[in-house]
Amino acid sequence: LCRGGLAERLCRLQNRERSAISFWRHQCISDAKIPSDKSGVLIVKILEMFEECTIQVAICQQLEQSPATLSSEDAVVSAGEPILKVLFARETAAHLKSRPHDVIHIYPPWQKLILKNADVPVIMNTYFSQKVLLSEHSETREETHRLRKMLIRKNIISLAQTFRLDDLDGELHQQPSDNQVDCGLQIHDNRDSKQRPLAQSAVNDSLLEMVESQGAVGWREAQVRVVIQRVYCLPAKEGHRSHVQGKKPLCATPIVNSDPPNVRLCLLVQDAYGMFSEVQLQSLGSADDVQQYCSRWEGKFCCLAGMKILQRTTRGRTLGLFSLIDSLWPPVVPVKVPGQSQDSEMTTTNLPPPSFCYILTVQPGEMHVEVDEEEQISNLYQPPAVRGLKEILQIDGCNERCSFWAQVLYLRLQTKHSVPVNQREIWLFVTDSTLQNVAHVTPRVVAVSVTASCVLSTEITEALSVASRRVFFKDALWGNGRIICVERTVPLLQKPPLCSAAGADLSELTGPVRLDELDSTTQTNSICALRGTVVGVNESTAFSWPTCNRCGNGKLELCPQDRDLLYCNQCSEVVTSPVLKMQLEVFLSCPSRSQSTVRVKVWHKMSFGLFVLINMLLSLQSYEVQSVLGKEVGLLNCYVHSATSHPNCVALEEIVLL
Amino acid sequence: MDSTLPAVAEELLKEIKKAFQDTSHGIDTFSFRLKFIFGPSAVPALDLVDQHSVTRVVSPSGRTAYQVLGSSGKLYTCYSSCHFCTCPAFGFSVLQKSESLLCKHILAVYLSRAMGACQDLTVSEEQLTSILLAEEEDEG
Repeated sequence: LCRGGLAERLCRLQNRERSAISFWRHQCISDAKIPSDKSGVLIVKILEMFEECTIQVAICQQLEQSPATLSSEDAVVSAGEPILKVLFARETAAHLKSRPHDVIHIYPPWQKLILKNADVPVIMNTYFSQKVLLSEHSETREETHRLRKMLIRKNIISLAQTFRLDDLDGELHQQPSDNQVDCGLQIHDNRDSKQRPLAQSAVNDSLLEMVESQGAVGWREAQVRVVIQRVYCLPAKEGHRSHVQGKKPLCATPIVNSDPPNVRLCLLVQDAYGMFSEVQLQSLGSADDVQQYCSRWEGKFCCLAGMKILQRTTRGRTLGLFSLIDSLWPPVVPVKVPGQSQDSEMTTTNLPPPSFCYILTVQPGEMHVEVDEEEQISNLYQPPAVRGLKEILQIDGCNERCSFWAQVLYLRLQTKHSVPVNQREIWLFVTDSTLQNVAHVTPRVVAVSVTASCVLSTEITEALSVASRRVFFKDALWGNGRIICVERTVPLLQKPPLCSAAGADLSELTGPVRLDELDSTTQTNSICALRGTVVGVNESTAFSWPTCNRCGNGKLELCPQDRDLLYCNQCSEVVTSPVLKMQLEVFLSCPSRSQSTVRVKVWHKMSFGLFVLINMLLSLQSYEVQSVLGKEVGLLNCYVHSATSHPNCVALEEIVLL
Repeated sequence: MDSTLPAVAEELLKEIKKAFQDTSHGIDTFSFRLKFIFGPSAVPALDLVDQHSVTRVVSPSGRTAYQVLGSSGKLYTCYSSCHFCTCPAFGFSVLQKSESLLCKHILAVYLSRAMGACQDLTVSEEQLTSILLAEEEDEG
């Protein structure tokens, strides 16, 4: 056993307990009478017994006094006495040899456990138990009983019943997907309840005071008034991730999961002293309503009451939360200083950023968060500062939150590669006018990786699968030369009403989008444009397949009735004029990256120029290589699968921008 | 009648998790209860937790499994969706004789989860599939 470990500690405690139990039992036998110390003794009468995994479960009635003076006929079961479930360990049960109607004295230390959703308390650690012998008469009956072996029913426990460790998730498990509109139940908007008085008692303005007075008299009714700085969704904790059905996406459809993610709506609030807290509200079926909550609630005041403290977290433990807090520091208006009178306020320039933060949650079944939607925006509110991508790429620091508008050009799912921590990463290739209009200094297109911890609403994923859209990335993270969307980043389709432009050009892109040209600096996982000449063809990669002209389904089947016809099971109809798609890998020589071998997977219908080429190669069995080589390939938009320097080669795939 | 022990065990594990979050060493209070409910598995399970023997294995699709490095050096797999472990003690005490709720490995998994002592490992879909199917091949 590990020195000083939990196991060793339990062992020592156990040994001490074991000797105490055997000493006690020995004492009972030698004294041959009931120990007289009555304090803390539980007296129970067994009604029913059964066994679960060597533990004997006895449903008992708690008796007020020892019925030692009564005969067994007099100890009638009276309806008013409380019922208990008493558990006996195997050894204790063997020692007691109890049966229904027996009266047992249970001496301390025993433990009581109250289960949620159960009326009957459970009594355990009942090592110091003794059966009470009632009278001479029953003693002889005991003897005869002992000769017959008693059969106890054994409950077999199902292996399917696993244990849930998260308190809150246990509650939520009962409500699968109706939660989208259910927010109204737990969160009161001022609009709905004008008649209801906002405060029963005085409203506090200090989060710290509310947290520290937890448990004190009256803290449940006390309310704290705070400003909602941010609204976002966090993925629900372990045990309740909805599993992907195992569908591998087709190249054109980026939506991975049709099951809504289990997400939790959260608020980042700040009190009048500048202290932050993250409030986790109840679970939502999907992230679709976040947009609405953001525009309705951010910047407004709200009252919190009777919160439950989940955690007190520090900077080192939750970097993500603190990077968001840092982006809101220092406060834009002076905040109060604890200890000084309410009237005097200090400037904020000298205050260090917070080093700890409380994470609170609502108690189920009670009304706790009232958002004052009618009131004006608080002065303390700091809307996200919108910046141009060019400015963001030049930020020096690490782990900085940034917000920007960008046009999404292309979307790629990372499912094949084993990415370490993330479960389902999506890469978005974006640009804005600050990148497009400047040549050569900064890249024209930036990759934004969306990790699984950033919750995407289905509205956005659907919108992006259809066409290019402008997306507002609220509080994305910049660090190590990359922009990533993590938890607390909220991608939105509409501009939040209060965001400051801060000089960034929010205008739409004018003119066609230009990608960076393939060159020596091109990296893996990027998109670029290239031109070159065909220097080789990888014939083994060439193949063609028919697709449905209506829906584009690439997996057509032969018609059962007529084997000459093709059938599309997505349209449920025969395909009379299928579109033939072809794929081929060619080797190009590109002047912009002349030292590398460039291998491009091209698709028919995307590059008409090559169609003729491919058609020639595939339909005519013989061809002259010379006639193919040297053909010029126009500007192709490609995704870079890999770009290595040793060996110096680039593997790309032709893509269609959204 | 509905079973009692699983609800008691679940409540106990939840309390341990909460106590651990609050004070990081609230386990002592629950040692006695652990021992009472889980019997001879309690001390070996805590030993496995002390040695950080539990790894939570996750694949990109979200499937999880747990792997526990037993005292003999053998790696056992515990499922997350039901109580199952590939160790022989599970087959004997839990499945055959219904003498225990869990084997020490499954209990170690729960305790590690409650106390935040799980190691995390992400693998590909294929690797997770082979972990879950590995035992079948051995017995083949």
